[in-house]
Amino acid sequence: MVSTRAETIIGFVVIIGALIILEILGRHKNNRIPAVGEWLGYVMRPRSGRALILLGWLWLGWHYFAR
Amino acid sequence: MAAEDTARQAASSTNGRDRGRADTIAADLSVRSPTGLSLLPGSPGSPIRKTLLGAAIVGYAWLAGGLAPLSTRALLSVLLPGAVLGVIAYGKPPERIAPPESVDVAGLSYWIICIALLFEWEASAVRDGSHGWHPSLTDLINPLIGPHPVKAAAFTIWLLSGWALVRR
Repeated sequence: MVSTRAETIIGFVVIIGALIILEILGRHKNNRIPAVGEWLGYVMRPRSGRALILLGWLWLGWHYFAR
Repeated sequence: MAAEDTARQAASSTNGRDRGRADTIAADLSVRSPTGLSLLPGSPGSPIRKTLLGAAIVGYAWLAGGLAPLSTRALLSVLLPGAVLGVIAYGKPPERIAPPESVDVAGLSYWIICIALLFEWEASAVRDGSHGWHPSLTDLINPLIGPHPVKAAAFTIWLLSGWALVRR
């Protein structure tokens, strides 16, 4: 019997694993999936997108290192 | 920003003379500083400069990683690099890695689905109060980055990822 804690952790591991697989696939040429740097660069083309991503980065730092 | 746009325009031109001009402007952008002076010795990209920058980043991360959570100093240790990168990003952006003109919508949708799932999974844990039986990602990661060296390493990665974002 798997505990709900283990189920939750497995869920996070599966999702983060999927993100890593997407990045690996995105780095191969002739693939429709963009690598994280490519789609972040695309999102950051307008100044608003750039500000949003940088604010997200700042929030991540505050969340894990300041609180 | 205007000089950068000019450089980009010249780079996209098929005219060889313009391309030469773009190289000159790009080199100028990467070397120029507001005061005309550099804080670090050596030419840009030199091993000495890279070593000093690396030592400064790791040293800062080590100091920041040792600060008590929920303190003003910890907050400032995060806000300071944020402010510095914000000024660099909008005031004096470095030579940027050219972003793609477009991305495949179907390919991007895989990313969006996975990120949405991550947020949903996290939100469900937070909604339940993030108890031990249904912990949030934050409560799972916090004990992992508890030891000072691990926290300093995580802080270094965070600083470097910020710089990577500014270059995009």
